[in-house]
Amino acid sequence: MHQEQTFIVTVPLSPSDAILGQFGPHEYPQVVGDLAKSWQVSNDHLTHTFTLHEGVTFHDGSELTSADVKAGWDKIVFPPEGVTSPRRSSYHMVKSIETPDRHTVVFRLHHPSPSFLSSLAHPANFIYAKKHLDTNVNYYKAHTIGTGPFKLKNYVRGSYIELERNPDYWKKGLPYLDGIKYFIITDTSARAKALRSGRVDIELRNLPPAEVDGITAQMGDKVVVAKVQNISNWGVAINVEKKPFDDERVRKALSLALDRDDMAKTVGPLTGLDTVGGLMHPASKWTLSPEELQELPGYRKDHEANLREAKRLLAEAGYPNGFRTVLTNRNVKLPYIDLAVYIISAWKQIGVEAEHKLEESATWSQSRVTRDFELLLDPYGSATVGDPDEMLAKFTTGGSNNWGRFSEPVVDALYAQQAKEMNEQKRMQLVKDIQKVLLQKAWWLQGLWWSRLEVRSARIHNYEPQPSHWMNRRFEDVWLAAK
Amino acid sequence: MWQYIVKRILLMIPTLFGAALVVFLLMHVVPGDIALLILGTSEQGGDVNLQDLARLRENLGLNRPLYEQFLSWVWGIVHLDFGTSLWSGAPVLEELRLRLPLTLEVAIFATLISTVIAIPLGTLAAIRQDTWVDYGVRVVSIGGLAIPAFWTGILIILFLVLYFEWSPPLVFVPFWEDPWENFAQLVWPIVTVGYRNAAIGTRMTRSAVLEVMREDYIRTAWAKGLHERIVVSKHTLKNAMLPVITIIGAELAFLLGGLVVTETVFTLNGLGRFMVDAILHRDIPVVQTMVLLTAFIIVFVNLIVDLLYAWLDPRISYR
Repeated sequence: MHQEQTFIVTVPLSPSDAILGQFGPHEYPQVVGDLAKSWQVSNDHLTHTFTLHEGVTFHDGSELTSADVKAGWDKIVFPPEGVTSPRRSSYHMVKSIETPDRHTVVFRLHHPSPSFLSSLAHPANFIYAKKHLDTNVNYYKAHTIGTGPFKLKNYVRGSYIELERNPDYWKKGLPYLDGIKYFIITDTSARAKALRSGRVDIELRNLPPAEVDGITAQMGDKVVVAKVQNISNWGVAINVEKKPFDDERVRKALSLALDRDDMAKTVGPLTGLDTVGGLMHPASKWTLSPEELQELPGYRKDHEANLREAKRLLAEAGYPNGFRTVLTNRNVKLPYIDLAVYIISAWKQIGVEAEHKLEESATWSQSRVTRDFELLLDPYGSATVGDPDEMLAKFTTGGSNNWGRFSEPVVDALYAQQAKEMNEQKRMQLVKDIQKVLLQKAWWLQGLWWSRLEVRSARIHNYEPQPSHWMNRRFEDVWLAAK
Repeated sequence: MWQYIVKRILLMIPTLFGAALVVFLLMHVVPGDIALLILGTSEQGGDVNLQDLARLRENLGLNRPLYEQFLSWVWGIVHLDFGTSLWSGAPVLEELRLRLPLTLEVAIFATLISTVIAIPLGTLAAIRQDTWVDYGVRVVSIGGLAIPAFWTGILIILFLVLYFEWSPPLVFVPFWEDPWENFAQLVWPIVTVGYRNAAIGTRMTRSAVLEVMREDYIRTAWAKGLHERIVVSKHTLKNAMLPVITIIGAELAFLLGGLVVTETVFTLNGLGRFMVDAILHRDIPVVQTMVLLTAFIIVFVNLIVDLLYAWLDPRISYR
């Protein structure tokens, strides 16, 4: 799991595994203990000491100790040869991991880090058995022997994954469910129909609003629809090495041409991209206020004035009649194509003619990494709390998701500063400053934030979804009412 | 005859090799890299760094020269080792074994049902040409041709869900384990695909029978005072069957891997979807093996059809 990149793998395995500290199923965004009973942080914020629960066993009956925690975490933070650790940059602050005794794990940090605990609680950081990792570092690619409330019973590739209750689970009395069966259904409409016929009790990906309307019309109070404001946003990455995008005026004009309120109203009902915001989640403490956003290009309410300004900037940059360009996009309707169609038509108002170049996922991801694009519809999200360390790394020089490869030294300096700032008020200010610089210079065009609709049977109790596909997938205290 | 069969089977080898080579080269011409896909295309970002990418490509054997990759695959085939899926890490044969029973069942039953419907209906329409029977058959069969099978499928599921709050089971269970569950899952896809194929078969039977009925030897048969049943079944139908079985054979070969959309609509874990997913993932060993399998099926079905020709038409003989 530590080597995996997608929640599609984590979701069905989360019930069979456990992590050190987790976003509590009922406490989000607070991190609560999972395998860790408690933890202490030193006064200088450089040492985090975790005390493990005793009597925790793996599915094969062996006991979990601090050595298991260290074995897995060492591979996440300091991956050995042959191991991929896609999230290791989130743990650059970790200096060492020590195990003074069987039930204590100490993380020592290079510098104080406000994001350490929430990064630690990333739902993919399962704790595995050291003995298996020692014999074969890729053992868990083919086996699931965790400490979680459910055990793998059956897996038929391309069809389903079935888990059964772990009778020896260390939390007495849990889990409530006898088992969980995940069906792999790629077609959105087939997923909706499986819900309507009661073949499944919950849909874990996302259903478009039109399907959800059909379900609620037919099933009424037999289903519960949760609207979750995900920590995911879609925008446009700009290849700043290609002309004319090296010119700040041109980038600003592209941003000014987007009437974000109208965009949310138009594409929201189709795609779930329905919330205007800055570069941090609009419901988080890091977000720019509506007043602050008003000062930035493309957020002012007077759209006519925005368009006039955009045309003036283009004329100044030498493009009084606009120009032709290409927007590279993934060949996926929701929300990629729908959003891009809006953006392209908005740019026409200032004379910018963007060809909509659709590529299937494999080609698109290659264009993205090799920078073979002028403009690229760019999705981004977080599997944890959307901490600035995670969300804004994309906008730093050389950041691995900085597809446009721009470099803004002011942002780099502010980013480094906020990553060590333990005073929350000061950190909030730094994070706002970073967003203002990025949006002011239009290094990346913010589009909209995404809400997903998760539909479940009203028989499911003690469960509420959290703002990412990855989170709250353990289901250990969820129960199902009788039919 | 046996000599002919052996010759045909031997001729299969260069055909299959050629198909595999063309697909292998095509897969390398199309942009896209499975290593990149494994490292992440998701919205969640993550770090795609070049060292990880290079290491993964090496682990998957993608950094070897093209000819080496192809020859090692061919060498594997010679030893009946069809390689390992780069995407799932499982042997390709195991992946096929999971999906083949479902695909075979749908293909065979859809073909059987469509044949059982098409030949009598097509014949009836021909011998009662320009009557209401003929018009009725033609309307139904043109409907089957004009409506895509997956669309019929969507309508059927929607109808079942809306009026019965029921949809087919989501997991394939072999017939011998649970006949009812198996029937409940596969009857609708078989009906949708069978309808389309029956429509094609009916049209073909009708026109072939009409053509044969105008032959001199049929007029002779009538003139001899033979009963209609004998004229139609013994003299007309047997001779009209050549184009019909050609079409049935071609359709059967198509069903064993071509039902992508129908499989998606009915959530069937079949070979068609498997192949398309493999293409989208750039999972080359899987695509090559699937192409090899498909090519084998087409060549094999054609051979059977050719042998049936000889049985149906004594003028045809193979040496």
